[in-house]
Amino acid sequence: MEPDFTEKDKSSTRQRDRWDVIVIGGGVVGCAITRRFALAGAKTLLLERGKDILSGASKANSAILHTGFDAPPGSLELACMQAGYREYLEIHKHMNLPVLKTGALVVAWNEEQLAQLDGIVDKAHENGITDTVQISRNDLVKREPGLSNMALGAVEVPREYVIDPWSAPLAYLKQAVRAGADYKFSTEVTSGEFDGEFWHLGTGRGQFSGRLVINCTGNNGDNIEQICRPPTFEIRPRKGQFLVYDKSANALINSIILPVPTSITKGVVLTKTVFGNLLLGPTAEEQADRNVARVDREMLEGLIKSGNAMLPGLCEHAVTATYAGLRPATQFKDYQIDAEAGKNWIGVNGIRSTGLTASLGIAAHVERLGSETYPGLIAFKSGPVAEWPVMPMLAEHEKRAYQLGDGTEIVCHCEHVTRAEILAALEGEVPAGDLGGLRRRTRVMMGRCNGFYCSAKVAELTRGKLAPPMATDTEGQL
Amino acid sequence: MSGFDHDVVIVGSGPSGIAAATALWRAGIKDIVIYEREDQIGGIPRHTHHPSFGLLVFKRPMTGPKFIRALVRRCPDVRFETNTTVTALGLGGELEIATVSGTRTIRARHIILATGAREAPRHARLVPGLRPQGIMTTGALQQFIYSSKLRPFERPVIVGTELVSFSALWTLRHAGIKPAAMIEENSRITAYRPAALFARLLGVPIHDNAKITNIDEIETLKQITIDTASRESMIIPCDGLIFSGSFVGENSIAAASHLTLNPRSRIPQVDQNWITSDPAVSAIGNAIHPADMGDQCYLEGLKTGAYVAKLLAGKLAPAAEFMRIQHNAGIKMTTPSIVRLEKTGETRFDLAFHVTDAFNGTVRVSQGKDVLYHKTRHCLPTRRIMLKNIRLQSCTADKDQPVSVLLMG
Repeated sequence: MEPDFTEKDKSSTRQRDRWDVIVIGGGVVGCAITRRFALAGAKTLLLERGKDILSGASKANSAILHTGFDAPPGSLELACMQAGYREYLEIHKHMNLPVLKTGALVVAWNEEQLAQLDGIVDKAHENGITDTVQISRNDLVKREPGLSNMALGAVEVPREYVIDPWSAPLAYLKQAVRAGADYKFSTEVTSGEFDGEFWHLGTGRGQFSGRLVINCTGNNGDNIEQICRPPTFEIRPRKGQFLVYDKSANALINSIILPVPTSITKGVVLTKTVFGNLLLGPTAEEQADRNVARVDREMLEGLIKSGNAMLPGLCEHAVTATYAGLRPATQFKDYQIDAEAGKNWIGVNGIRSTGLTASLGIAAHVERLGSETYPGLIAFKSGPVAEWPVMPMLAEHEKRAYQLGDGTEIVCHCEHVTRAEILAALEGEVPAGDLGGLRRRTRVMMGRCNGFYCSAKVAELTRGKLAPPMATDTEGQL
Repeated sequence: MSGFDHDVVIVGSGPSGIAAATALWRAGIKDIVIYEREDQIGGIPRHTHHPSFGLLVFKRPMTGPKFIRALVRRCPDVRFETNTTVTALGLGGELEIATVSGTRTIRARHIILATGAREAPRHARLVPGLRPQGIMTTGALQQFIYSSKLRPFERPVIVGTELVSFSALWTLRHAGIKPAAMIEENSRITAYRPAALFARLLGVPIHDNAKITNIDEIETLKQITIDTASRESMIIPCDGLIFSGSFVGENSIAAASHLTLNPRSRIPQVDQNWITSDPAVSAIGNAIHPADMGDQCYLEGLKTGAYVAKLLAGKLAPAAEFMRIQHNAGIKMTTPSIVRLEKTGETRFDLAFHVTDAFNGTVRVSQGKDVLYHKTRHCLPTRRIMLKNIRLQSCTADKDQPVSVLLMG
């Protein structure tokens, strides 16, 4: 499936380029929904304005697979999280996607928080997470000897896990493509008209027509809703800054360390990543801008301070990366997912920080919503079961390509990425569209040296394959 | 020798690794292998094409690649294995190595870690702003220009004014790329002052007291914003950003192993003979003192190799006692960080350190009540300060007291 726009654009008015479903937005939710509809036999197209999937909110999250223990009882968010959680655990092995079974501890740092732990356990039980228990300060110290002695007690949630936040959505889209779906990157939807049967979406790369449109545009959700109807919500981007610590810090904790949540945010989390680092964040900052997420020194230093206060040993370890993400929050707590009767449009909005966990559940919910609201609109057919794409294993606790030996040398030394892994990510069903996409697919240049050792080699290997290119040739100039 | 694959495995083929092999070979230890994870040997000098090498070893200036070739001619039979990554260090001389055919475990009677140093990159410096392409370090720049013949940008800004920052300038000049500016956080440049003249001759402004407050934009670098002492803030249009200097040891293998690390610096603890907390493992070169000149690393490697040869020949007295070396703020690290005491008589050692900021005053080394060194020194950051021939009397030393290195105002 080469992203060859010119050939397709010319034929976009022909019948064969009319789609059953057009998904706008290639974040984790868009990828999961594309997969769901493609597997159900719908002819599905994903439009993404970035050069690759996960160009917006989905590229920056904490990579936790949540049980939903602290989600609002009875909410759509909880239902989608729990369905998504179950489906991920059912399918991850087929696609070679990792799960790091750490469990989580909600730690109380003062008497007031300690008093809240009972309520957290009750809510978890109400949400069906019945193995959630309160543990004493002594047990906490035994499990997490690295934590500061300010920790007073905790709630243990044994089935909170850590996953690969980038390989999972890529696997969803790859499977969709194997089931007949298509995708277009660098294709921003700017207008749309509904003729009673088809939506005709205008983009910078021509018009695309489909029976059903599903808006999964995250931080741009309310703007895209305008194409169909006045939005009933407003996106209020919430910025979260994160710090990734060197792998040397990974062993400082055993479980995901969660704070006692407030109504606004889950607070600052300490977690391992599947890649073997230690992650600290996020901050929660309201901002008007929907596209630009900067890191700033003061907030990062504040994060470091709170990290050191929780985990004193952290102060000796180096920071490998800093990043900021924008969560598409709205004025409402719950997800804003609904179908517009008579207009063949489903809005999937307000998927804030729980989208990675919930995406597969959201996809199932949206499929149901679609077939209930628009019966007969899409002729779902049970085609042959789509092949499972087998993803490159990037998790540190599993066997990596360099350990098994793939006949090529390690190019990225910090993350142990082989030449064959890099070349493979530039080919296949959904090749990397830009350097960020390559990094997320392989881990290349994601390590402690930020590319000191390997970036020139990566520039050589990606010559002519990424936009913008990492470099231009000097041949003949020197 | 059953159970061992080699007498000595050296990890890293930069000047210190090559030197250790050379000295071992000369001392009759021939079953040596040098593992190099890159596809070429030589470490940092292999892509450093300006003549800052050779003065101490060959008494003439040479480029990095020429320096490495000349060093290798001194040990023509030593075996290098490139594209071979050491992925773990275990007890008893055990190493896990990765080659194109996967990982396997090997054992050596002795292991010398000579893994070098790299520059602190953007993220470790917590530089604010966005994350466009075009942000790199001098080491990466040299590889783009010299090794890959690729041009990553047309008008970059160099961050830092260490010697290596002017190496970045040299590299850019070679490629016909004119930087927009050099910026320095402090009030004076870190390298020797005449280096600034080089920048001036090339028409490159140096902004001192300058700090980056923003990087724009999302995909491609368009500009940075800096705060300077004189002006509130200033925008510099640029399409590249080179973080130079601020070297850190590449100690990831040691850090993930059983070796004792010095607190805070997380550099492996070594004694005056470069032996770590595991007597079967040495650590040498810029990994433990980021970063000295290639020549200095070579000379250190020769001494290490000679010592390891004696160790393997069983010519050293065992079971010595050790004494900690502590230092005050202002000192980045000392080498050694622990002293191996002779059982009787006198222990003599050289003590090297780096300062964090320029210092003009008395350097004092003491142990308990004894003053071992007391002299006025002019110390500049990024330069090795060497105190030769520190002497400790084993019989009189109070073994509970550390050796203490102090900068005295």
